[in-house]
Amino acid sequence: MIDDVIRLENIVKVYPPSVVAVDNVSVSFRKGEIHAVVGENGAGKSTLMKVLYGLVPRDGGEIYYQDRPVHFRQAGEAIAAGIGMVHQEILLIPEYTVWQNIVLGQEPTRFLGQVDTARARRLVKQKIDEFQFNLDPDALVGEISVAARQKVEILKLLYRNVSVLILDEPTAVLTPQEIPQLFGELGRLRDDGHTILFISHRLEEVLTLSDRVTVMRRGKKIDTVDAKTTSKEELARMMVGRDVVLTSQRREHAPGEVIFETEHLSYKDGEGRQKLNDINLTVRAGEIVGVAGVEGNGQFELVNAVVGLIQPSGGTIRVQGRDITRAPILERRRLISFVPQDRGRMGASLNASILENAIMTHHSLDQNFSRWHGLLLDYAHARRFTDGLEKQFSVAMASKFNPFRSLSGGNQQKVILGRELLLDSVFVLLDQPTRGLDVGSIEYVHQQVLRMRDENRAVLLVSADLEELFLLADRIVVMHRGELVADSPVGQTSLEEVGYRMLEGRGEPR
Amino acid sequence: MRLLVGLINGMIAGATPILLAALGGAFTYYAGIFNIAMEGMMLAGAFGAVVGSYFLHSWVLGIVLSIAFALVLALIFILFSVVLHTDEFVTGIALNLFAVGATTYLMRQTFNVKGVFANEGIIPIPRLDIPLIEQIPFLGEVLSGQNLMVYIAVIAVIAVNFLIFRTRFGMRLRAAGYNAACLDSSGVSTARMRTAALLLCAVLCGLAGAFLSLGYVTLFAENMSAGRGWISLAAIILVSGNPTGIAVISLLFGFSDGLGLLLQDYRVPSQFTSMVPYVATLIALYFYSVKERKRKA
Repeated sequence: MIDDVIRLENIVKVYPPSVVAVDNVSVSFRKGEIHAVVGENGAGKSTLMKVLYGLVPRDGGEIYYQDRPVHFRQAGEAIAAGIGMVHQEILLIPEYTVWQNIVLGQEPTRFLGQVDTARARRLVKQKIDEFQFNLDPDALVGEISVAARQKVEILKLLYRNVSVLILDEPTAVLTPQEIPQLFGELGRLRDDGHTILFISHRLEEVLTLSDRVTVMRRGKKIDTVDAKTTSKEELARMMVGRDVVLTSQRREHAPGEVIFETEHLSYKDGEGRQKLNDINLTVRAGEIVGVAGVEGNGQFELVNAVVGLIQPSGGTIRVQGRDITRAPILERRRLISFVPQDRGRMGASLNASILENAIMTHHSLDQNFSRWHGLLLDYAHARRFTDGLEKQFSVAMASKFNPFRSLSGGNQQKVILGRELLLDSVFVLLDQPTRGLDVGSIEYVHQQVLRMRDENRAVLLVSADLEELFLLADRIVVMHRGELVADSPVGQTSLEEVGYRMLEGRGEPR
Repeated sequence: MRLLVGLINGMIAGATPILLAALGGAFTYYAGIFNIAMEGMMLAGAFGAVVGSYFLHSWVLGIVLSIAFALVLALIFILFSVVLHTDEFVTGIALNLFAVGATTYLMRQTFNVKGVFANEGIIPIPRLDIPLIEQIPFLGEVLSGQNLMVYIAVIAVIAVNFLIFRTRFGMRLRAAGYNAACLDSSGVSTARMRTAALLLCAVLCGLAGAFLSLGYVTLFAENMSAGRGWISLAAIILVSGNPTGIAVISLLFGFSDGLGLLLQDYRVPSQFTSMVPYVATLIALYFYSVKERKRKA
């Protein structure tokens, strides 16, 4: 086709050892269209765009740009050819003004290599006016809003005369009021003949802004549809998929009294964004409550507030009736077992030995580990403890004195899980406990989670994997932009409904 | 009056090597390199200057050789920290220690002396008498008749200022320090900017070294840079690399240097007088931290 500006054919990207991020995807983008690429986290949409842009080498397939096969090896080559990408993390120099950031790398010069300030400012002003971007070229980038910085990134590419713009979740960093302005600007760019590729998982935006939509799921392209003839429901269905939820091995039993409870829990971050808004959540003994939501909708802040890494701006957190909203972390850890999402950073110290990792927290909570009133560590006890953990949780390790990083991901998680479960706690907080694990280890973790339920502990499970939630949880709550927008027993909801709530919040289905 | 002129001239002579080295360090500071190798580069330069001047019978060739010797250190620095990505601090320490050892060894081997090599054959960098100005009472004694390198240092302040803040080169250089990823994604190689910064730094440190051994005195002594490279690093950090600020701080250090020499005339033991510049560094650091704390609050 003549008006296809970019064609991707049979693109394959495998992250070693065996994660297929992009699986044989073919898609084409037309000149002068806004084309959205949607999918859940990990669906491969970002990877596909990075392959196109040359940031990630591809393992198979061909890319045609203006009917010529291309193979960009670094971002500079793509920009020179006319393809520019705005990343999620904005890459600008806060100490420089808007115009300096835009011209950096292609500065107009005068004699003696001086930057021709007047001409550079004029060129930038021209671009700003041409696309009605409403920016002050002399403002310091460090002092303008995130939305304005995003515009600077876009202008930087337009200054280099790109005709294709790739935007990676451009609205994720914007406030609701800033979004229409960006959309107006993108619309003008399209009318000007630019092609805009737009990664998103917010369906409402996708439908208002784009001409065509490509849906991806688990590395595969599901379909490319016309935005005018589709609906949010159809897109959601394609995104989440209709895979059968595996039958759960949960034994029925009635949950006990309320163990964990938040009341009107709120948190504002340093820049004043409301990350948690009036969260009221309860977990009973012997109950698993699953927290669903697209990443970045407040789950991380919820977890951190419960563990004590951030101080909520309002509300209370109670465990077993005790108010722990302002309790020190060690105090909380007597009540809470915690498996963080980032094993290497928060869950364990990779360079410390397996034994040292196994006894963390225990060594200060359990008197048996200390001699001479805490002056010395009882290593004999620590060794016995680690041996016990190794047997009980069937960890495969060469020696408990080896560094933690020598363990495989699955075995690392077993040590962390074991350590946390051996704490005599009433409440278990699990943040993405199966992220990055292979299938066998995932199954093991699932068994352990169900065991906690049988032990009558209260479990709060945060997961990006909906199937996991449906497999394990008794009740599923959905977080959307810092709010709890749904709370229902697992039997009374569906994958589709939860998926829809994750994307659309409280809004009624059309 | 004599005393004042002596003090001022002492200050200028003391400030010049620190100023030149610190201006070189300003390039690497803005390029985002933690460069502590000024000390070693200066020492290598001082030795190169004496070798060139003594064997080639020309102070000009002495300066050329001083720059060449400093550049050798810079190339090693570039190989390790820019190409091989080793730690800059460790690389810098290694180079500084290497410079002490290498110059001491080479001096003993080439000149068959220990400690100090002084010889009639070493041709110093001349002093420059400026006509008309030298006639002015008092001012003439300060502004005219200084060592050629002093005037080069003054010009260097202006040139470095221009290069860093007005030119395309400077804009990219500072970008390399502010946000290397951003510069790379703008199509400019950060590694290339850092290489350029280190080479420029070596040129200026070479000049500083040449002034030490062919201007300040006419001899080479083991480890004669005596911490001036470190003081120049302190100067850079104190004023966040600004060349004009570096000039002011350098004069301050130069003043304490001159004061130290003056105090010797008043029978203060030399062990104490040579402490003065270092004590001044500590005092400056204290005031700097107070200022920083106020700025943050």
